[in-house]
Amino acid sequence: MKHSLCLVAIFAWLALFCAPASGAVSGDGKTAYAANTAAEPAMAQMPDPTDESAYDDDDDYDYDDEPFGEERVTISDPLEPVNRIAHVFNDRMYFWVLKPAAVVYKAVAPEPVRISVKNLHSHLGYPARFLSCLLQTDFTGAAEETGRFVINTLWGIGGLMDPAAGENINLEKQDTDLGETLGVYGVGHGFYIVWPVFGPSSPRDSASFIDEYLLYPPFYIRPWYASTALTALEYVNSASLRIGEYESLVGAAIDPYVAMRNAYVQYRMKSVQARQARSLLFKEETAGPPEVKEAEDEN
Amino acid sequence: MKKRLTRISLIFFLVAAFPPGALAGGMFGPPQTLSAAAGGLNTAIGYLYHEDTYKNHPRHKMRHNIIYSQAAWGKSGMWEIYGRLAAADMKMSDAFRSCLPAAMNIGSEFHDYWKFFGTLGAKGFYPVNRFFGGGIFMQASYNPGKYTDETPVLYNGSFFVADLEIKNLWDINLGAGLQATLPGGIRAYAGPFVYLARADARMSHNIPGLPLGTEKTFLKNKSPGGGYFGADIPLIRGFRLNIEGQYTSRFSAGAAISYVY
Repeated sequence: MKHSLCLVAIFAWLALFCAPASGAVSGDGKTAYAANTAAEPAMAQMPDPTDESAYDDDDDYDYDDEPFGEERVTISDPLEPVNRIAHVFNDRMYFWVLKPAAVVYKAVAPEPVRISVKNLHSHLGYPARFLSCLLQTDFTGAAEETGRFVINTLWGIGGLMDPAAGENINLEKQDTDLGETLGVYGVGHGFYIVWPVFGPSSPRDSASFIDEYLLYPPFYIRPWYASTALTALEYVNSASLRIGEYESLVGAAIDPYVAMRNAYVQYRMKSVQARQARSLLFKEETAGPPEVKEAEDEN
Repeated sequence: MKKRLTRISLIFFLVAAFPPGALAGGMFGPPQTLSAAAGGLNTAIGYLYHEDTYKNHPRHKMRHNIIYSQAAWGKSGMWEIYGRLAAADMKMSDAFRSCLPAAMNIGSEFHDYWKFFGTLGAKGFYPVNRFFGGGIFMQASYNPGKYTDETPVLYNGSFFVADLEIKNLWDINLGAGLQATLPGGIRAYAGPFVYLARADARMSHNIPGLPLGTEKTFLKNKSPGGGYFGADIPLIRGFRLNIEGQYTSRFSAGAAISYVY
């Protein structure tokens, strides 16, 4: 019953707040997101990459540097005051709770053990990734995921090792979720949310809670505190393998909140584009500029 | 008369040999480790159909279907240690066949489904040259599960159900082998081995004529040893196929696919 309520709540949330990405794919094949009005002071100083007059110097060159350009991606942030509170809360949680626990855990557990725990966590995420690949019509990805699951179960000691990722077999993990699946179908972010404990997200990407909980087998372990303890172990284990990454991100930023938001939106946009490129339904649209395809057709 | 019959039956149970409950831990594999020379892991999944007879009276044929997952660590092409998590069923012929006409039972075969067990082993290898070498191994298994089966019995007009329980199965294997490396990286090997297998057995009812008793007793293998032979064949992408036959008083055979990290 609880699970059904969660599902209904998430879908209602998505239906209410996730407008389809307005002009999701423009003529040049680029994704346009809602503009942020309050953030990114640093980006405001930079010339608009779509304004060609700002790059007059490039007129002398006969190559097109557009493929190398970074897309300017922003997200609306109407909940910024609340999000900032949640950001500070998460920041304190990281430095006061998670990092000390991860440091102690790192001292106790050797790296091979921690990597094995990470592998097992990833292994158990197979149902969610497989479903996402199917929904994205990435059947190659679904097959690769299944191959990985079988190989790692049989020859990876139940998922503790990852022989499928080795250079001999080289089956790539399909790192995707239901939020990206919605993105592949053109559902926009909506707006930026910082969930306490869970971190940056959006109404669309909050669908990933289904991956992380409802489609994650250990979630159904009873009693409840056993599954909660496993989740906590995963958080600490994951943090122990990435100590310093968060610190360098926030340490180099003038406004860590904005830096985090930009990094998150940029990362998710790239992920969605990568997924679209693998989708049977959408890969034609992301294959390249229309004029290139037309030229290829003429040849 | 009844008392005398009971006493005779009891003596028969005590002195009679009991059906064996010995365990086979799986295949032995080639004497040389598959792991990288610098040291590394190799894993395998395998299946072994194991059959054996035992010298106890009356003789029984014991059959196991064994599946296992193995992780091994080896180095220098000279030594390896390994562990297995396995599951095996058990079938035993004539476990419930009474030799007395007064006791009738329906069905004589003991059968129980898969139980988990563990195996640990180690092997050492000495290469004579690039192609030949010899090695020794030791492998031990312990099965903490209980195999149980029941049989309906009609004795002197009374009908009841008797349970047979076999538990604490363990075995130790010691062997030596010669290995030849053939073209294509195929490793052929053969050698002798000795083994010891034990288990506890207990019957819930005293059934006259049935070679099982209410007393706790141990079961043991008939043959002290046997021979094994096999081949380890490279497949693609780091996988290898190992096929092996073992002979004690009956023939067993299995196959495993291993992956070298």
